[in-house]
Amino acid sequence: MPGVEEEIKNLVATIIEKDPAEINPDANFFKDLGVDSMMALEILAAIEKKYKISIPEEKLTQLTTLNQTIAVAREYIK
Amino acid sequence: MLNIEDIQKILPQRYPFLLIDRILELEEGRKVVAVKNVSVNEDFFAGHFPGNPVMPGALIIEAMAQASIALFHSAQGQTVENEKVYLLGTVKARFLNPVFPGDQLRITVEPVKIISSGAIVNALAETRGQEACRAELGFSVK
Repeated sequence: MPGVEEEIKNLVATIIEKDPAEINPDANFFKDLGVDSMMALEILAAIEKKYKISIPEEKLTQLTTLNQTIAVAREYIK
Repeated sequence: MLNIEDIQKILPQRYPFLLIDRILELEEGRKVVAVKNVSVNEDFFAGHFPGNPVMPGALIIEAMAQASIALFHSAQGQTVENEKVYLLGTVKARFLNPVFPGDQLRITVEPVKIISSGAIVNALAETRGQEACRAELGFSVK
């Protein structure tokens, strides 16, 4: 069973159409990885769906790197 | 129920591109059920296809997108102005049965996630008791 970190990495990779191995966990989504606001919303929605959680809109601006995204998700995953 | 006058207060689209005729059900931010009546007089049938009229899938998606605007609007209450521009960002769709003149498309949209600057929704279009199209749409609002 992959851990949360691996799962979120794969989920992000699918949405931003990159190989998971290419994603530096501290690379900036917007500047380095070509993520746009629609993809950020997709990432948020995909994490909510996968873990059956609800993340408030205010947290969206904190999804700037893979590590940050994992940290935000961990706040809500029981 | 919302009639066409009510719909035009919410949607910016107009003739010949207003693809929702009526809203049957509206649960604020949770669900919209809308109707598109498909007439043989639709301009697009002249070319799609001559002698073999089928509603273009892209226009089924557009009708779903317009129903989604009504859903988004209801979720935001009074804060959304009509001058907003709605831009489709993602479409994942499966077309299951063709739509012909005389069909009534029943479109149901439900949110996956709605935020103040956009939304992701699940949409289903049905006609003659069959599914015509299932789609997930993502759009942003500017």
